[in-house]
Amino acid sequence: MKIPKIRYGRRLSYTDYLYNFFATITGLTVFNFEFVKQVFRTPLEIGQIKKHMDELGVKTFGIVSITGLIIGLVLTMQSQPIMQRFGATDFLPAMVSISVVRELGPVITALIFAGRVSSGIGAELGSMRVTEQIDAMEVSAINPFKYLVVTRVIATTMILPILTVYVIMIALIGCYFAIILVESMSAKYFIDAVVSAVQFGDFIPGVGKTFVFGYIVGLVGCYKGFTAEGGTEGVGRASTTAVVLASLLILIFDMVLVKISLWLWPTIS
Amino acid sequence: MANNKLVEIKNLTKRFEKLSVLENISIDVPKGENLVVFGRSGQGKSVLLKCIIGLMATDAGKILIKGSDLAMLSIKELNCLRKDIGFLFQGAALYDSMTVRENLEFPIKKHFPEMEQKAIDEKVINTLELVSLEEAIDKMPSELSGGMKKRIGLARSIITDPELMLYDEPTTGLDPITSKEISELIINLQKKLNMTSVVVTHDLICAKIIADRAIFLHDAKIAYQGSLTELTNSTDLFLRNFFSNELVKE
Repeated sequence: MKIPKIRYGRRLSYTDYLYNFFATITGLTVFNFEFVKQVFRTPLEIGQIKKHMDELGVKTFGIVSITGLIIGLVLTMQSQPIMQRFGATDFLPAMVSISVVRELGPVITALIFAGRVSSGIGAELGSMRVTEQIDAMEVSAINPFKYLVVTRVIATTMILPILTVYVIMIALIGCYFAIILVESMSAKYFIDAVVSAVQFGDFIPGVGKTFVFGYIVGLVGCYKGFTAEGGTEGVGRASTTAVVLASLLILIFDMVLVKISLWLWPTIS
Repeated sequence: MANNKLVEIKNLTKRFEKLSVLENISIDVPKGENLVVFGRSGQGKSVLLKCIIGLMATDAGKILIKGSDLAMLSIKELNCLRKDIGFLFQGAALYDSMTVRENLEFPIKKHFPEMEQKAIDEKVINTLELVSLEEAIDKMPSELSGGMKKRIGLARSIITDPELMLYDEPTTGLDPITSKEISELIINLQKKLNMTSVVVTHDLICAKIIADRAIFLHDAKIAYQGSLTELTNSTDLFLRNFFSNELVKE
């Protein structure tokens, strides 16, 4: 696997920045192909995948719970006066649930996940790279890409959709709390309104795209960590650039996936 | 005629962009020999070790381990060969997220998946006894001192019973007493396990304990090779200067 080196330094020219842009795209593409090549090679480190899923899930559980609750509360509080103006407060559960299921839940969870996990993976693998732990694995005839990268990318791809479903549920609880703070609404009415509003065509693309987001978070974090160089400074750089790149890619892929989902499920447009 | 050479390096050249680090280097290491590689910092000593283990590709020349040309081997064949080679990194490179026990178990479990846990436990304890650190078995690497890390790193490298050991500055960053202990440990293990060693070092005390033969790298070439005594008694001004500084430290 030949990955182009990124140019670092205090005085980079515009040409260097342009080179780094294309080097990053090429590097990620090569890394992606290597993942595809390695993922089908047996044996798969199931124990490591489970361990990472467990760790990553637990790591982000608290923060996504708070985020989910706040999304539901704030979205409802912001929308309530407007819906009231049009005499459409009954539609509030439907409006909030569709927004949360289709877009806000998946994207915000993915961004929070990227901030927490991509940087963590970048720092962890970066530190392993600069302290020669990855080289130590290689000289022990252990494939470090398979052991470190493949397991983490599979774990992030599998865990993010689970977290997203959980965040959507929490956000809807937040929405219900925000509604009952200002008016009376039974829980049964709220649930009925949500269930009848959210269609298959809302839920599947919404949660489905988080598999892609999870893959991006894992792949970018691993790419930045695995290719880190330059001591502790390099570890810090791997960690921060992993978050920035993963967040940016999540937003870009969201745009593409929304377009694809509208094409596949035209009823939701 | 049986080939007695475990490592054969023929006309090895390694460059980083325009900078030539190793130029046309040829070295043979017979079985059972302890070769010490000297040289100033940045003269390609660690690069030489990384080329021998296949971590770095060479730009020209050949490296043969047990008669196999590294450049001609597939990844699978290279990994198979690496099972017979141990490598002690400068910073020991212990896996941070694993205990000492897990660090030692890791290569065994990967290489011998059929081995029973009881046999693995026994092997781990026996290897820790060799480096006199049985009590550290359940400690994390962060709880160990520099010298202990080196010993555990050494234990991890020898746990698969390698024929060839590569040491990258095994005593750097350690106090003189610990340095001497590590050097004595290396030579004792070499005798006990009948290994061949290539040791990169600046440390003359370490070299005196270990070396059967020494080479000195300078300006990407082998400036000298022979016995350590000849090297330290050389009339060459550069070598005299290098070793007089080392002797002051000693």
